[in-house]
Amino acid sequence: MISTPRYLGRGSWLGSRDPRVPLVVGVLAAATVIQLWDIRIVSVLFVLGQAYYRTASIPFRLVRRQWAFAVLFVSILVLVNTILTGGAIGDFDRSDLHPLFYLPLLGTPISAESLSYGATQLLRFLTFITIGFPIAYAIAPSDLGPALARLRIPEKFAFGVDLTYRFIPSLAGDLQETIDAQRVRGYEWDKGRGGPIARVRRTVPLIVPLTMNAIVGAEDTIDAMDLRGFGTGRRSWLRELAYDRADRALLLTALAIFFAVTIASLMGLTKLWVFPPLLTLAGE
Amino acid sequence: MSSMSIQRSAWGVDSRVIVYAAIGAALYGVVALFSFVIPGSNNVSVRPAFAIVPFFGYAFGPVVGLFTGLVGNAIVDQLSGYGLLTAWNWHIANGLVGLIAGVLAAGSMARMGGKIVGPAIVAAISIVIGMLFVFSDIFVFGNDFNTALTGSYLWVLVPDLIAGVILVPLLVMAWEPLKESLGR
Repeated sequence: MISTPRYLGRGSWLGSRDPRVPLVVGVLAAATVIQLWDIRIVSVLFVLGQAYYRTASIPFRLVRRQWAFAVLFVSILVLVNTILTGGAIGDFDRSDLHPLFYLPLLGTPISAESLSYGATQLLRFLTFITIGFPIAYAIAPSDLGPALARLRIPEKFAFGVDLTYRFIPSLAGDLQETIDAQRVRGYEWDKGRGGPIARVRRTVPLIVPLTMNAIVGAEDTIDAMDLRGFGTGRRSWLRELAYDRADRALLLTALAIFFAVTIASLMGLTKLWVFPPLLTLAGE
Repeated sequence: MSSMSIQRSAWGVDSRVIVYAAIGAALYGVVALFSFVIPGSNNVSVRPAFAIVPFFGYAFGPVVGLFTGLVGNAIVDQLSGYGLLTAWNWHIANGLVGLIAGVLAAGSMARMGGKIVGPAIVAAISIVIGMLFVFSDIFVFGNDFNTALTGSYLWVLVPDLIAGVILVPLLVMAWEPLKESLGR
């Protein structure tokens, strides 16, 4: 029931890469995709992203729930945004839109542009998620700290991230113990009546003891770090990292795509592309 | 203690700050599975674990608060499958909430209203201001202002305020005696 980070890409092609590669590719992909509104280009990136994802060999049955959540969440987000915008689309003037029909009760116009926008938005999100999964599942949690440090992220921040990942499994265990202990006393956080305030208050018997126990337990870690002179000199990492030829090729490809899309964006070639059949349907 | 030394200690990064920051982020990531949708709302879900962000900022300072929100939210998104970098600007918004709570707690704001109202005010103000960063959805996702306001900011503000205003004072009340027994 409680999620913890899992290293599912162990032994895969991507999992064998330098851990900095998925991180840098993820950042470059995010910077690339946010510039794109032409679904044809986004589709190409999505396909490339899927090919990249496959190299991580993440078993689908183990991440099915995460994929289902992600797809459902972004679909709802796109749908709700379409309704909330009242049919308005970015830089488009309302008089330039091609309405196909109006939503019953709300009267929101659904146009060729809004459907194209929604589809592009959905694919953009799925591309983000596709590239993001290997960061979550194809980097060994113990490699995150050295990877961030070698990317010239401040080493104390890098160590903090490393430590966070080390705390998660033990805190997840503590949470499960707290849930079990409270259950023995007849407590069920998701049972009972009441509105949002009552339900938030029902989480108090879980969140308060768990947080206080974690804080008290942290003192041992602090003492251990102080005794080893943490922060008194430059930190070294046990894990040595070095790019190989495949790592460089992957990074250069991601960088080339980023620059190509940036140039195309500056030239105005990445704006929203409206599906021609929808325009025809709208009587254009 | 002079105001100069207070300022230095609030922004310094030592082993204590790193460990509390890591604990805060890990806690937020683990406890975030407890969420529920407000009945009758447009899929607005309340995540009680969010209260951990302003609490850690309030109790341990702005650096701890920033890290707890920033890294904690990234972990929540990663574990849920939404993706580490899909909504990176929301990680920053969460981090800002913790940062602002820490700044306010270091100032006179925390001493107003005692141990219940003071933390609640700090939590509310930090959430209202910090979450303004989600308006960056306009640049990141191409949303217009109305969508960013109703679909992002208000969408998250209401549930986070409910969680923060109720839980932060309770966490502070549990922490205060513990702090003294630990000699902090």
